[in-house]
Amino acid sequence: MKKYDIKTTDKETLKKWYHLMSLGRAIDDKAPSYLLQSLGWSFHAPYAGHDAIQLAVGQTFKQGEDHLFPYYRDLLTALSAGMTAEEIILNGISKATDPTSGGRHMSNHFAKKELNIHNVSSATATQALHAAGLARGLVSYKKPGVVFCSFGEASTSEGYVYEAINGASTERLPVIFIIQDNGYGISVPKHEQTANRRVADNFIGFKNLKIFYCNGKDVFDSMNAVAAAREYSATTGNPSIVQANCVRIGSHSNSDKQTLYRDENELAYVKAADPLDKFRRMLIRYKRLTEEEVKQIEEEVKIELKAANRKALAAPDPTPESIFDFVLPDAYQPQKYVDGIHHLTGEKITLVTAINQTLKAEFRHNPDTFLWGQDVANKEKGGVFNVTKGLQQEFGSLRVFNAPIAEDYIVGTANGMSRLDPKIRIVIEGAEFADYFWPAVEQYVETTHEYWRNNGQFVPNITLRLASGGYIGGGLYHSQTIEGALATLPGARIVYPSFADDAAGLLRTSMRSEGFTLFLEPKAQYNSEPASTVVPEDFEVPFGKARIRRPGTDLSIITYGNTTHLSLSVAEQIFRETGESIEVIDLRSLIPLDKETLFESVKKTGKVLVVHEDKVFGGFGGEIAAIIASELFQYLDAPVKRVGSTFTPVGFHKNLEQAILPNENRIYDAAKDLLNY
Amino acid sequence: MEKIGIFYSIDAVKTATVAQEIIEALGKDNVEIVSVEQAWKEDFEKYNNIIIGVSTWFDGELPTYWDELIPELSDANLKNKRIAIFGLGDQLNYPENFADGVGILAEKLTGSGAKLTGFTSPEGYKFEYSKALKGNQFQGLIIDVENQNNQTKKRIKDWVKTLEFK
Repeated sequence: MKKYDIKTTDKETLKKWYHLMSLGRAIDDKAPSYLLQSLGWSFHAPYAGHDAIQLAVGQTFKQGEDHLFPYYRDLLTALSAGMTAEEIILNGISKATDPTSGGRHMSNHFAKKELNIHNVSSATATQALHAAGLARGLVSYKKPGVVFCSFGEASTSEGYVYEAINGASTERLPVIFIIQDNGYGISVPKHEQTANRRVADNFIGFKNLKIFYCNGKDVFDSMNAVAAAREYSATTGNPSIVQANCVRIGSHSNSDKQTLYRDENELAYVKAADPLDKFRRMLIRYKRLTEEEVKQIEEEVKIELKAANRKALAAPDPTPESIFDFVLPDAYQPQKYVDGIHHLTGEKITLVTAINQTLKAEFRHNPDTFLWGQDVANKEKGGVFNVTKGLQQEFGSLRVFNAPIAEDYIVGTANGMSRLDPKIRIVIEGAEFADYFWPAVEQYVETTHEYWRNNGQFVPNITLRLASGGYIGGGLYHSQTIEGALATLPGARIVYPSFADDAAGLLRTSMRSEGFTLFLEPKAQYNSEPASTVVPEDFEVPFGKARIRRPGTDLSIITYGNTTHLSLSVAEQIFRETGESIEVIDLRSLIPLDKETLFESVKKTGKVLVVHEDKVFGGFGGEIAAIIASELFQYLDAPVKRVGSTFTPVGFHKNLEQAILPNENRIYDAAKDLLNY
Repeated sequence: MEKIGIFYSIDAVKTATVAQEIIEALGKDNVEIVSVEQAWKEDFEKYNNIIIGVSTWFDGELPTYWDELIPELSDANLKNKRIAIFGLGDQLNYPENFADGVGILAEKLTGSGAKLTGFTSPEGYKFEYSKALKGNQFQGLIIDVENQNNQTKKRIKDWVKTLEFK
């Protein structure tokens, strides 16, 4: 492998490096002036002091083959990897032509899809999981290349960084984790973050992982370390870490004032270690460039920056009317079952069988489907409810496999892998039970943001399955319904079928659609007789189409999931008792919501009862009730009522569970109140 | 005894202070000061007896002015040179890389043929790891002005007596 040093590295390369370093620093130094002129760049994390390692990562990054997940301090990394000064400024001042996001994402987050420089969150180092996922994709599709993932040393305190490195070590994924260690997490010194002075040492015990240490302020040491790490990861397929010791010459960002916690001596100390000054001195001292040649590069940089600045300032701003673009991509549109209704008769199958058969059918239909999750594939077992039983045997362990007990890793790697190719469709079991999904919410948020944040350039194609709800005597951690909380986040579809056929149809549509879909399964119905139906083998249900499970004229019950069955039972009872006719609408999709079907029903009946298993307070039913009250008030003959859980956790003892979860009695009473209103 | 060339950064206040005490102990007339920022291969080759002063920066690095010289020193002919290194370290705050600068330079200089002199005992210091340590000896004099400054004079006095210069 080529060894870089001041004496033998060719002159043109040295000139290129000095040009990039000078240009990067000139932009970095200029960034605050945009804010002073109210032109933007209101978040700026200066990189000065990280120059050498950032140059090295960008120079080692192999365009067209490698992928790069930079962090918010990686200005020079992005420039060195191929972005232009103009593109950097377009991002900084949030223009519509900003390649990262068209001005949607915060400044100082540099990305360019065409170069495989990925758009990442501001939540520090969440991209580590994406990097692992993308590397899994490279391995799965036998593609060359490695994935670079960069972050500061304080980020290693995050649990998901551990998850990413552990996963890359376990799965043997070619990820190069670049730890840019400047000694501070904002104002928090390193010794308050972790006990090891070299944070990479925390990962020494990980198998298959090789750690490279370098002086991130020295161009040659950094180049040699990153090149060696790439060589190792590319040839062995294993992960590596480059621990690059840097200094932070400036404050953490423009919101931070480092003089509040760093004294003059310390600031002088880090300034004396300025990597750009060091490289410049060495170029001249070792007679590789003359003073005149160095100055000529510096003059060229000034001209280049001026031109880039002028162009960027003239670029258009994003428009307010664009805000609704790229929240969700267009979904797959069923051709045969346009409304998601069928009239097939014959043998019924259970909900769990319907999901299992649909998964298998879609895996046969599309070779670019993958499935992973906790406990989903071990010999005859396919999850605690056997939803995925037999999948690994039929489709192999490359497409169907177990994940570690790390929910964030499960979701984050799905996000990452789906970046490799838009044809990929991923199904994940986010947690064994919906109740255990909460550690992954950070990645859930991240995934909902992706499409909008990158201005429609990339969308994660993921179906996230969760066994949800109670009525099984499961207590606090096996009974939760979580759609109410997650429905507040734009960027995901949420479906919650009640019957086997709808589960099959919605799953097929999810797996054929672009975008992110939360697929909630009422686990109490997995093997229940009422939820069992006939399921056409090619059944499809479009998103945003509710299903009237029982037509009626006197009251509309709007429901989904487990409570659909309770509501149908109550409707039948009341009809038998009084002849009053209740329309039961199974929403099937919460997002998008079928307002048309709801409105038609309300206009017909004039009375509405919203029923769901989730808590009344803060549940999704509040949104439905509010929409109806706002938009159909003139059609209402009674207040909109809601039935759901009490505002408590779900207790384990059956007395407690029965008192908390909605039941037929409560639905009956509420329905009668409304019918008699 | 031939003249001794003492190389250090005159801007590094603590190192320079220790260097001055060493110069006094050796006798001013026996020593010539060379600023490391201006030093080049020829300056090292000029002396047979050399003293080097180095601190340790950050998490176990050479100060940049020494680091920038390393490629040049790698090509220097230091055969038969007697070199003594003194280094500053803070054993309390940097126990994991205590006076690493001494060890890094020692390795580079011996790699260029130099013979080191002035090894000292680690007794009396408390630290976890140091590149300065080779076997059971420091490869030079380690001064901790932050935590053991009351021992500095004695350590210097004892050390200069052990230097085997030509």
